[in-house]
Amino acid sequence: MSSSGIRQVTQDRSLFVPAGLFLVLLLAVAFRGQGLFTNNGLAGAILVATPLILAALAITPIVMAGRGAVDLSVGPLMGFINVTLITWLVGNGITNPVAVIAWAVGLGAAFQFVQALVIIYVRVAPIIVTLSGFLVLSGVNLMVMSRPGGVAPDWMLSWGAGTSVFSPVLLLLVAAFAVWGVLRRTMFYRNLRMTGADERMAYTSGVPVDVVRIIAHVVGGAFAGLAALSYTALISSGDPTQGSTYTLQAVTALVLGGASLSGGRGGALGSTLGAINMFLISYLLSTFNFGTVSGFVTQMAFGLILVGSLLVNVFVTSRRAVA
Amino acid sequence: MDSEITIRMVDVAKAFGETKALKKCDFEARAGEVHAIVGENGSGKSTMAKMMSGVLHPDTGKVSILGERVLSPIDAKRIGLTTIFQEVLVAEEASVFDNLYVGRDGVFKSQTTGGDRRAEADEILTRLVGKPVDLDEVVGSLPLSVKQWIVIARAILRRPRVLILDESSAALDLDSTIRLHSEIDRLRSEGATVLIVTHRIAELVRIADRATILRDGITVGTLEKHEITEENLLSMMTPADRRSGDVAEYASRAKSAAPAILTARNLAVHRTAGKFDFDLPKGSIVGVAGLDGQGQDAFVRALAGIVQPFGGDVQVRSADTDRMVSLRTLDDAANLGVSYVSGDRKREGIFPQQSIFENLAIGVYRKNLGALGVIRKATLKPMFKREVDRLRIKIGSPSNKITSLSGGNQQKVLIGRAFANDPQVIVLNDPARGVDLGTKRDLYRELRLFTDKGGSVVYLSSEIEEFIGFADRVDVFFGGTLFRSLEGNEIAEEPILASMFGKSKHASVEFDLERTA
Repeated sequence: MSSSGIRQVTQDRSLFVPAGLFLVLLLAVAFRGQGLFTNNGLAGAILVATPLILAALAITPIVMAGRGAVDLSVGPLMGFINVTLITWLVGNGITNPVAVIAWAVGLGAAFQFVQALVIIYVRVAPIIVTLSGFLVLSGVNLMVMSRPGGVAPDWMLSWGAGTSVFSPVLLLLVAAFAVWGVLRRTMFYRNLRMTGADERMAYTSGVPVDVVRIIAHVVGGAFAGLAALSYTALISSGDPTQGSTYTLQAVTALVLGGASLSGGRGGALGSTLGAINMFLISYLLSTFNFGTVSGFVTQMAFGLILVGSLLVNVFVTSRRAVA
Repeated sequence: MDSEITIRMVDVAKAFGETKALKKCDFEARAGEVHAIVGENGSGKSTMAKMMSGVLHPDTGKVSILGERVLSPIDAKRIGLTTIFQEVLVAEEASVFDNLYVGRDGVFKSQTTGGDRRAEADEILTRLVGKPVDLDEVVGSLPLSVKQWIVIARAILRRPRVLILDESSAALDLDSTIRLHSEIDRLRSEGATVLIVTHRIAELVRIADRATILRDGITVGTLEKHEITEENLLSMMTPADRRSGDVAEYASRAKSAAPAILTARNLAVHRTAGKFDFDLPKGSIVGVAGLDGQGQDAFVRALAGIVQPFGGDVQVRSADTDRMVSLRTLDDAANLGVSYVSGDRKREGIFPQQSIFENLAIGVYRKNLGALGVIRKATLKPMFKREVDRLRIKIGSPSNKITSLSGGNQQKVLIGRAFANDPQVIVLNDPARGVDLGTKRDLYRELRLFTDKGGSVVYLSSEIEEFIGFADRVDVFFGGTLFRSLEGNEIAEEPILASMFGKSKHASVEFDLERTA
């Protein structure tokens, strides 16, 4: 996707800031040391960054559909898929890769399908629905598994070793991009963008906006399933609470990637860049010695860079309006 | 000529809460004709158009398009009906190309190839706009007129069997309107039904084959081509009681000699358009007119301190010192006694969750504060009663929510809010939008009383009829600047309309002067 990716960056000004930030961070990381650019370093980076990239991809179509539909439930949904996979499937001796992957993707899609129906037919603000989803799933996760434990299926243990760049986790990532690449070429994608840009216009022009919204959620849910798989590979076990932290990180990645939370603008490339940038920020900060407060420093840095990149974005887009 | 009936509405009624938008609507349109739906603002024209498009559904009665019922815009698309709505509906973030083809395909299927589409889109846009438009350009960066053409091109690209234009020429200049008309002719000759919903009489006299007239939500009749004249249309649009001339009785008085209470010098309300001067003589009513987006809206807002002009200075004679003082902010406006009333009640007027009393009194709380900043209700109550009686606002309890009132009565509350401030100047921005005739009449009467007592009024309206017999002067805006001031017997439908389209009677004279100079 690199050549079309570059063309996209030069055409779409909302990608200027994330792409620029990416280059700056890459240089800074290189300046601090060569650790990241070794086989092991890169393999580890892919392992750690993939769940976040996929989580950001999972909320991208939902945000693109507009109405301020930020999906807050994505983190606990990843957690839910993780704990049910460990407890219900592996716990009952079902470790077949096909079954496990189908469970993860199917469960994510099914949950998002239900959420979409509630948003459309109960006519509640999407953020309220997904907030409820967040709270409900956070509780359910602890009911399924009260404390971290269990083990991932045997075949998945090697995924989380982080010794080779070309690990199955990378395959997962590539598969996700491939799916998105196909999606981008469909009429659905165009309809999705138009719905997000102006729902009334799309509706009166004959776009089946409800169907588009449902599909956006289902696609997002499927990506959440892939995110949960890579997350499970990363921790090689079940964890009822850790997944929830991905919600805020994914939203941050999305905004860092130049998407508009009011819909219509955004895409896989932006979200991916945003997620990678977040990984690079925390990696860069880990090369400094902040002692016990390093986690807090990372969070603070996310916040500052988010605000900063939004400010820069305002200038980039306002220049366009004048030109 | 007895061609196929394409649209049929039988005994249709539609209400929005208390308001009956359509009471009894019967309508038929044929293939291969341009059929106009005419009526004043609020007579139910747009509601009719939305019902045919499947956006709204009738409470009672039947709507059928080409023999089918239309339950949603998706149905409309399938049947071959396309509507160009009043608002310029474009996705600002998306490309021209995407905007042209939105909604054309199934969720996953595309009917034609991208290459064919680009060629087709290129050709039609070039024809409409008059010059090529980059299809990959982001729509948000294009001027309003091009956005309007995109919306029209989107409809034409669908090759509709029925095309509805709901006040779609509002943002177009005269030259563009002619291009639109030739487009309409083309569709008609291809056998399509073209409906134009409009209150621009001159436009429909020119191109309509038949016209159906709506009055207060009732279809009062259909005129054939040879019967479509200005007199016939006006007499059918206006109820008998108003024709008897209450409005016209008011002779516009020569007041331009009075000293100006408000002046503007070198005012620019548009980034590039020309600067102009403006004077509001004390005790007069100055009307402000213009097609949508010609700068008149920004102008009245600048007078009231709501927006900052791009350049120039607005001054108001201070009641205390009798000197001219600059007005730049809303605070200045309040101190100098300039009140603003908006016709956009939802966005700039009412507080829907608050009571009628609060909605009326909110502007004067500041002047009625007691110890510790507690509002003195006792002094506000007589004021409230006075305004309610004076404006004949029909209310239940003052503590009822304002949304319990009809649109007209809500507007009266807002005008009461303006009067409660005891202003010198009232700036009204299309206040009669969507209000009934009785309310309009009460409004005119109160504003006249206000000017008789020395107050001054700036009155922007989108309906030309409102100025006639009411305004002392009408300032018409065109192209972002003050285009022409009309006084005396020039305040009539024809000259105002001509000026709105940028046609000046004196154009040739001015041209000659320029050449000799």
